[in-house]
Amino acid sequence: MSEPILEVQDLRLHYLTRFGEKIHAVDGVTFELKKGEILGIAGESGCGKTTLVSGLLGLYIPPLHHTSGDVRIEGKSIIGMGVERNRKEVLGQKIAMIPQGALNSLNPTRKVKDLATDMILAHEEGADRKVVYDRLRERFGRIGLDAEHVLNSYPVALPAGTKQRVVIGISTLMNPKVVIADEPTSALDVSTQKAVIRLLFELLDQGIVSSMLFITHELPLLRHVSSRIAVMYAGEFVEHGTTEQVIFDGRQPYTRALMGSMLSAEPGQKSKKPIAIEGAPPNLAKPIAGCRFAERCPVARLDCPTTKQVLRIVEGREVRCKYAESTPQTVGNMGAGST
Amino acid sequence: MFKGLLKSPAFLFGAGLFVLTLLVAFVAPVFMNLDAKTRVGLAYVAPSSAHWLGTDHLGLDMLSRLVAGLRSSLYVGFLAGIVATIVGTLIGVYGGYKGGLLDDILTVLTNLFLVIPQLIVLILLSASLQEGRSRTLIALIIGMTGWTWSARAVRAQASTLRSRDHVSLARINGYSTLGIVVLHILPYLLSYVFMVFILQTAIAILSEATISLLGLGPYDSVSLGTILNDAIKSEALLDGAWWAFFPPMILVTVIAFSLYVVNTAMEGVFNPRLRK
Amino acid sequence: MLKEHPTLRHVFGRAGWYFLTFLVAGTLNFVLPRLGDANPVDVVMSKVSGNIDAKTAREKEEAYLKEFGLVEVDSAGKIVRDAGGKPVKASIVSQFVNYVGMCLSGDFGTSIHQYPKKVGEIIKTAIPWTIALQLPTIVFGWIIGNILGALAAYKRGVFDRLFYPLALLASAVPAFCFGILLVYLFAIRLEWFPAAGGYSEGLTQTLSWEFIRSASYYYLLPFLAIFIPVVGGQAIGMRSMCIYELGTDYVKYAKLLGIKENKILFYMFRNAMLPQLTGLALALGAMVGGSLIAEIVFSYPGLGLTILTAIQGNDYSVITGATLLLTVCVLVANFSVDVLIGFLDPRVAAGIARSE
Repeated sequence: MSEPILEVQDLRLHYLTRFGEKIHAVDGVTFELKKGEILGIAGESGCGKTTLVSGLLGLYIPPLHHTSGDVRIEGKSIIGMGVERNRKEVLGQKIAMIPQGALNSLNPTRKVKDLATDMILAHEEGADRKVVYDRLRERFGRIGLDAEHVLNSYPVALPAGTKQRVVIGISTLMNPKVVIADEPTSALDVSTQKAVIRLLFELLDQGIVSSMLFITHELPLLRHVSSRIAVMYAGEFVEHGTTEQVIFDGRQPYTRALMGSMLSAEPGQKSKKPIAIEGAPPNLAKPIAGCRFAERCPVARLDCPTTKQVLRIVEGREVRCKYAESTPQTVGNMGAGST
Repeated sequence: MFKGLLKSPAFLFGAGLFVLTLLVAFVAPVFMNLDAKTRVGLAYVAPSSAHWLGTDHLGLDMLSRLVAGLRSSLYVGFLAGIVATIVGTLIGVYGGYKGGLLDDILTVLTNLFLVIPQLIVLILLSASLQEGRSRTLIALIIGMTGWTWSARAVRAQASTLRSRDHVSLARINGYSTLGIVVLHILPYLLSYVFMVFILQTAIAILSEATISLLGLGPYDSVSLGTILNDAIKSEALLDGAWWAFFPPMILVTVIAFSLYVVNTAMEGVFNPRLRK
Repeated sequence: MLKEHPTLRHVFGRAGWYFLTFLVAGTLNFVLPRLGDANPVDVVMSKVSGNIDAKTAREKEEAYLKEFGLVEVDSAGKIVRDAGGKPVKASIVSQFVNYVGMCLSGDFGTSIHQYPKKVGEIIKTAIPWTIALQLPTIVFGWIIGNILGALAAYKRGVFDRLFYPLALLASAVPAFCFGILLVYLFAIRLEWFPAAGGYSEGLTQTLSWEFIRSASYYYLLPFLAIFIPVVGGQAIGMRSMCIYELGTDYVKYAKLLGIKENKILFYMFRNAMLPQLTGLALALGAMVGGSLIAEIVFSYPGLGLTILTAIQGNDYSVITGATLLLTVCVLVANFSVDVLIGFLDPRVAAGIARSE
């Protein structure tokens, strides 16, 4: 079955400021997610990741507005639904999010089973509570928790690792087709991180979720988890390819710079110094006609700021750079032989 | 730090209002003939051009009595505020910094005073003092019963400072508790303590008005509260003699309100820095 | 058994604490009035003496001293005298023992101002009025104030912009000022409502329909005088709490899960209510005090007026009796709120100790 689970077509989203300005936070994003795929999304803060996620969830709450483009889950578009329909049919049901800072996401005055039941009842009105409880017990047991104990506890009584699992469990209760994991391991120690990642893989393997979007700042995680990676900058994807391609052989200068700055102390990499990318992301109220990265690009040419850049296939991946074929290996320090 | 205050419109409004009442209390008498001791007419004569606020229950000029009462109330409130702040800060700082058994004991003490209504203690104390009730004494007992609020507030702040590096360093270097408290903790709490003081003064002024209204205020002096008590006793309220109770009431509200506004404004300017 | 029920443990703990507080309050109630030189007997004597000769006066004085427990009494009930024949003053300790004994048997002594009426009698008629006024007012004021505050935080917009300054004003004005304002406006000027008292003169305090109607009529202004400031104060606090709760991670997460808006509002209210309840417990003493003053403004026949009259008449017995009773009421109310918090706060249910 090669029908894509998630299709995003030229999605454009904007924020309306108090002064009537339109900030084009997501400016034409297109990609697909097939069953079993994990797409990693990398980018600096302010690149539009968070807005993109809101758009995928259908959360168009002012000042965020949908400009144009489509988001389809299993072939059905989720654009243009009202707030109520979106809440009932999309959020948590078709596409779910595991938020950043999941540890504070559980209502302290609600027992775990009550919160989980609230979630189920929000989508399946009138469900029988006993039936729901059995379902919760089964699911929580499946994800490796002591179901009886955890379900009847208040969040305050649970350790961090358990809470993270609970959040993952609740988010995926309705077997969403797409799950978005936003920095799911940032506040955890290494062994718990591994357990959480393993859990996410299991969910995918068991078919509880069908596909995943993984957002992270950590390079080793990105590499370990994703089958494909998309690099986002200034509201657009600037490179989209397989993990190997994007991490080790990025063609967009920004990709290489980003990967270089995400370098961590992995064995063999210690000799390479991370390079911070100078400058700041551009103003998205009035995007320039040409390459948005041009003013910070170490190998920018004279016509880069004025030439419209489109995504094109270069060496088996999508790149948004006119001179992608000749991106020097020295950029970003990931190339062989450079120090 | 203070520049931020001067830019806050709330602060300027509140402080301005308060300064206005101070002016009325202390500067006005210099320019106007405010004789609060001579009978000028019958009881509760309505306001006229000669006596802007009419007369009170003894036939004395109400305006003069009001200004004199304002001075007393301000004095009592201020003094009580100082006492309450000092006592509360000491208890709060020591408990918050030291922690452990001392903290527990002080907390129990604080909660005792918190739950037992201050008004009740004030009534019992004042009643027993009878003619000995001077303004200063009243101020002292208001201060000695109203410190619980500042103790709680300061304690919370002090306990967050306990774990700061410079404090730990001082402790390792053998500073005495007193030394640490004075040199390393209090300076950081100064702006907070000042805010607490403003609030305690406002509360103290209300307490004084309340206790005086009951008839247990300063024995021989006039205060805003005692004017209200006179009004109640002589049923001025029922006779519609508005000049007998509105002016003191409005003054009490204005003073308390202005101080609350100042406190809120200060909180807006100072607090972000004090949070962990 | 207690180990398995942290909530019960909490209740027992609080009960113990409040009992301790009661002991301290009771002792204070005894000690404080006796700090000065006030001698109740002198006050009574000054009323009674007049045309009696010295011998009768002395007999009367000794009788009063005995009645007020100020002299030592032997087992036969006769006054103990020293070598010179003068009555021996009771030590402070035996006075205290006497005091405790009397309180336990429910005898609060004899009024001085209204001698020989018993203190208990005087207070008994006043207490129902105070409770009938203050209890519903504070309870409803708290509930309505919190609901309005939550609404303002959730709706924001025009409602909030109108409501917030009004609530701020209502919370800043002391209760007695409100009382004075209401009396002047509605009773004196507009004459819509009565200015003083609890019921029409001439009616007896029975549960007749006529009496209840009259009492309700007199009830309204005092009710408003206390109700409005309480609502204002609670609304301001609740509004801040709710605004904070609405910005928390767990609310964001609940929205992400698709949980219904009503449910989320329920979360917000439930979580904001706990600190509000705690605040109530802390403020109860002050609320009751303020309400008493409001009662006085209306000459409402409750404890406030009783205390005022007692103060004006130097009636120490009534003062101490009334204050003791008031303190007990405040302690009971505080305890009730604490128990309520114990049941609603999941941290208690989870067995984690609540720090004060």
